[in-house]
Amino acid sequence: MCNSVVPKTNAHECDGKLYLPFQCKIESVQELTRTEKLFRLSRKDGKPFGHKPGQFMQVSITGIGEAPISVSSSPTRGDYLELGVRKAGTLTNAMHELKSGDEIGLRGPFGTFFDTESMKGKDLLLISGGCGLAPMRALIQYVEDCRKDFGNVTILYGAKSPADVLYQSELEQWQNSDKLSCQVTVDTVSSGTCWDSNVGLITKLIPPLDINADKTVAVIVGPPIMYKFVTLELYPKGLSDKDIIVSLERYMKCGVGKCGHCTIDHLYCCTDGPVFTLDQVASLKGAI
Amino acid sequence: MKTVFTSELKPLLEAFAEQTELYVPKKSGEYYTYTKYKAGSDEPLEFNNIRTCTTVKEFLFPVCELAATYPEPTEPKEIRQFAVFGLKDCDLHSMAVLDKVFFEEDFRDALYIKRREKMFTISSDCFDPAETCFCTLFGGKSFAEKGFDLNVSKVQDGFIIEAGSEKGEEFISKNSGLFSEVPAAALTQRDEGRVETEKQLKQNNVKYKLDADVKEIVESSQDSEAYDTDSQSCVECQACTRICPTCHCFYLYDTKQSDYFSKMKMWDSCIRCSYATVAGGENPRKVLGDRIKHRFMHKFVYFMDRYGTNMCVGCGRCLETCIGGTDTRELLKKLSDEFKTKK
Repeated sequence: MCNSVVPKTNAHECDGKLYLPFQCKIESVQELTRTEKLFRLSRKDGKPFGHKPGQFMQVSITGIGEAPISVSSSPTRGDYLELGVRKAGTLTNAMHELKSGDEIGLRGPFGTFFDTESMKGKDLLLISGGCGLAPMRALIQYVEDCRKDFGNVTILYGAKSPADVLYQSELEQWQNSDKLSCQVTVDTVSSGTCWDSNVGLITKLIPPLDINADKTVAVIVGPPIMYKFVTLELYPKGLSDKDIIVSLERYMKCGVGKCGHCTIDHLYCCTDGPVFTLDQVASLKGAI
Repeated sequence: MKTVFTSELKPLLEAFAEQTELYVPKKSGEYYTYTKYKAGSDEPLEFNNIRTCTTVKEFLFPVCELAATYPEPTEPKEIRQFAVFGLKDCDLHSMAVLDKVFFEEDFRDALYIKRREKMFTISSDCFDPAETCFCTLFGGKSFAEKGFDLNVSKVQDGFIIEAGSEKGEEFISKNSGLFSEVPAAALTQRDEGRVETEKQLKQNNVKYKLDADVKEIVESSQDSEAYDTDSQSCVECQACTRICPTCHCFYLYDTKQSDYFSKMKMWDSCIRCSYATVAGGENPRKVLGDRIKHRFMHKFVYFMDRYGTNMCVGCGRCLETCIGGTDTRELLKKLSDEFKTKK
């Protein structure tokens, strides 16, 4: 099942119409937190999206605007596509007003993806913070569906507070699973809030882990500050920049490596990224 | 390729104007801009001695254009054949740069490509370069050797017309009545003129000659303070990026028309403060000096790595337009000096 649904090419299917979105129907909207919602979409023309974990879509609402959003679901789950969206700007605010049955425009999928082929047989350490869990969820779902392809799988997730924890039911499911290990932590818990898991920064969860550096790939998705401190914990475990995969957030506008907004030095985050190995970007000033 | 002679240009332009839209240079103040040629008009043709102020990019990649519509997705608006007269070697180089970006495999930009294919390119030799021209620093010339359909060289008693493409050859064949054989003396005169202009250009820029390959110089300037120093006189007007014939940053935005929604593609500028800011507020290039440096790196290093060519054609428009007085040549020279000291 895993191989059949993952498209081989990475080219955006556009028939020369680079900037024209295709129309999608919103199948369902689920409220994740006060500021995040999960949208499940299907293409109106019935075609599959052709997405891979780690890629992003350009989401547009006619007359309002367009914004890059990471894919939150794995293609192994079916032909639908899910986007976990935080209310942060003009487009995402308007998106939060949409209901199931409404239409929305999409371009993509764009960009590089988590290379699950080269992760085969490896232990995976999947670390995400905040809404970094949105793209990470696509990878976790993929790994769950092709579980035999991978070694030990450890998920670490950090959020600001219990109210900010995304995908709570899935996290619970991962925590209770005997096929993978999952730990969740929050930075702070205000008094009167019920929370029976870890409290403290995500970096605290790394030192106690037993990591086989020779066969481990670490994937980090989160706010910029997280990369810095998480990698500092990973180096003593024997991981090098080649073993660490990151997904970077930039202002992808055209999605096709032309408009210039998302550049990190010589790299276009939209076509060379958003998924990079750390050794591709570690030396670039301001990349992380 | 065919090379012919004509004693006057008017009949040639009229022949173009009959078949296609033709744009010709027109002096506006001290600079040339483009204007649509009116067939049969008595206005004398102004043969531009140097490049125009506005760039050829405006014909191929307009300031603002319709990129997509919904509902009723339409093909790009019918673009008619057009010809542009008086382009210089630097303009042709800039078109080659834009071609690399917009013809890129997998992500071919139909809007640009359509215009490019409908364009007939008529270049002409420079014979009185401006003090700001520095094409020779980057291997440019005062006359075009490739990239044109027709090239026009002004000589004492007329004009030498050279075809540079099949389209150009075809035009000459179809309008053979307008042309005669090139007098040998005219060719000599053209070549002497070219040498003379080249000499003048090199003379103008002798003090800006770089000590090493420009890519190597700029690449080594990551920690240079020159960009921050330069940024002190920059008012972020972004004119340098708008007037640059190779700058191609753009923005996509959505608007509502009376009966459809449209996605517009509009020029943008990497010098603009919030250019790279993401929705959460993070800005990877907050400092103006970093943005100026990024522009230089893109022009001289990143683009070279990606497409194998330098993005600066040395037209000098940016230094003419900068109200802060930044001179690209001076900044490059400064970086070159720093490079030399480091070595």
